[in-house]
Amino acid sequence: MPSVVTANHLRSGAVVYLARDGRWVEALDCADAVETPSELKALEALAHAAVERNEVTAVYAFDVRLDDGHPNPVSVRERIRAARSPSI
Amino acid sequence: MYRYDDFDQTFVAERAQQFRGQVARRLSGDLTEEQFKPLRLQNGLYLQLHAYMLRVAIPYGVLNSLQLRQLAMIARKWDRGYGHFTTRQNIQFNWTKLDDAPDILDALAAVDMHAIQTSGNCIRNVTADPYAGVAIDEIEDPRVWAEVLRQWSTIHPEFTFLPRKFKIAISGAAEDRAAVLFHDIGLKIVKGAKGTTGFRVYVGGGQGRTPYVAQEIAAFVPRDEILSYIEAVMRVYNLHGRRDNIYKARIKILVNALGIDKFRSQVEAEWSKLDKAAINLPAAERERIAAHFMPKPLKPRALKDPEVEALRKSDAAFDRWLRTNVLPHRTPGYAIVNISFKEPGKVPGDATAEQMEAVADLAEQFGHDEIRVTYQQNLVLPTVAFADLDKVYSALVVARLATANTELITDIIACPGLDYCNLANARSIGIAQEIARRFADQEKSEAIGPLRLNISGCINACGHHHAGNIGILGVDKKGTEHYQITLGGSPKDDAAIGDIIGPSFTAEDVPGAVETIVATYLRLRRDAAETFVTAYRRIGKAPFREALYGAANPHRRASTEGEPSNV
Repeated sequence: MPSVVTANHLRSGAVVYLARDGRWVEALDCADAVETPSELKALEALAHAAVERNEVTAVYAFDVRLDDGHPNPVSVRERIRAARSPSI
Repeated sequence: MYRYDDFDQTFVAERAQQFRGQVARRLSGDLTEEQFKPLRLQNGLYLQLHAYMLRVAIPYGVLNSLQLRQLAMIARKWDRGYGHFTTRQNIQFNWTKLDDAPDILDALAAVDMHAIQTSGNCIRNVTADPYAGVAIDEIEDPRVWAEVLRQWSTIHPEFTFLPRKFKIAISGAAEDRAAVLFHDIGLKIVKGAKGTTGFRVYVGGGQGRTPYVAQEIAAFVPRDEILSYIEAVMRVYNLHGRRDNIYKARIKILVNALGIDKFRSQVEAEWSKLDKAAINLPAAERERIAAHFMPKPLKPRALKDPEVEALRKSDAAFDRWLRTNVLPHRTPGYAIVNISFKEPGKVPGDATAEQMEAVADLAEQFGHDEIRVTYQQNLVLPTVAFADLDKVYSALVVARLATANTELITDIIACPGLDYCNLANARSIGIAQEIARRFADQEKSEAIGPLRLNISGCINACGHHHAGNIGILGVDKKGTEHYQITLGGSPKDDAAIGDIIGPSFTAEDVPGAVETIVATYLRLRRDAAETFVTAYRRIGKAPFREALYGAANPHRRASTEGEPSNV
């Protein structure tokens, strides 16, 4: 299943996602979903470098489905995070 | 209320200054996240689902209007315009930034507040009866001892790195309104021989993954010896509490593994070795602290007011609010006013900056500048003249804080759940909102009578589901949110842990299941005076199970009882 790498911005705590070029973006749609273990490893290496630079914290990858190329989180938790607000 | 002296003010200001330095070092990279995390948690700053969350301590739930206005200012300036009152009489801000946290701590220190010991494996904010000092059934004011324990436990070097967090609650009245029996240590002030007062001490209560009702460890500890007695309990726990398994680290596990008798004998042996005189509070210091909580010199006033009585006759909603949210005060002519933050459809416990300011205004104008936070996530004006109740009510209507539902089914305790919390498995708030909408008819909910409905979004039980007359626990079942229902729990003197009633429900089906449970109760109760929990204890699970799952094959359905939360 494709995955996206996420974290929280260190200063603001905001939810951010990683693009392939190493940029952290706030919209999940602008993140890159990767499908192979080697692609994921490359993204995680970028993410950990950002942790070392004190840009982000709490890095992990989560599963998404691609709908017309758009990543949609599989879990409720990640859908709520991606919405950037509570579901109420 | 207690006012900080120079020592307290300096300590809190220096602590905020220290945290400013720690944040600066984290942002510059001098501290790693691993090094910084325990420091931010010691100052109440968590990283949650969407943002940093700051949990602010409200010692034993007591606030004045200046402090509540400052909380409103913080909500407006550094959050999204609201805060969330918690089940530990605290407030949380859900959308703070690490950058801003030092400024927020400074703003708190300016009004004698802080976020110390709202996280971490230490003695947390001591909670108490929200009606302390004004209740008609009070033996002695528990705030005095809550304040003593606050001062004693604050950065106590021996109890800063306990096996796990530690929660103490105190009640000074005949009725337990502080859920004393669900705490690591529960204290009830009782009368002893020759007019003395002391504490009945309970230990090992708690909710979470392994819920226990606390057991009595001492029938009577003289009040002036309570600090050394608690210190003995803490020492036995600190020495023998498990540090190898986070799920078995609370004192309740130790107490139940040893048995209360063995645990008691270990505490007594430890107590006998302590230098009690060095630990116990000198009488002069007790008197100094107690002086802060001396009852206000209130002049008894008329028990009835013509304008209030007139409004009562002409406005049924006001009349209902008086019946449900207003309680007798120990001084004739005054009342305790419960302010509901549970308007159906709203988030339980959430308070906008404007609502906080409205309550602060009322406290200043009509409430002797006193506000209390309840663990049911509401506020209280403990002292309002009966003649002012119409004016207070009118202002609460404007602020949308006049829902007449104290202790009724829509007065739902709900944790933030998966909408905010990193630990949650399922959403709580949406479920609470939908159930409250179904019972929004206040006449209907009043006819149902006292009923505690509590919702937690995970097994950690911040929403006190185990202690709900109806408890709802969110679980993750193969990636979808399900809800397990328990019946018969109680947080009061008849403390009990609810029984799991059967297989879990989907989010869509939970509100209907609650309606079925309530309809079953209404059908089977002896009369309107038999409360839900009393009726449940009389008639048992069977009729509720049958109503929920059908009579066709209840045994088959029963086989899935007790499903773990991760299935």
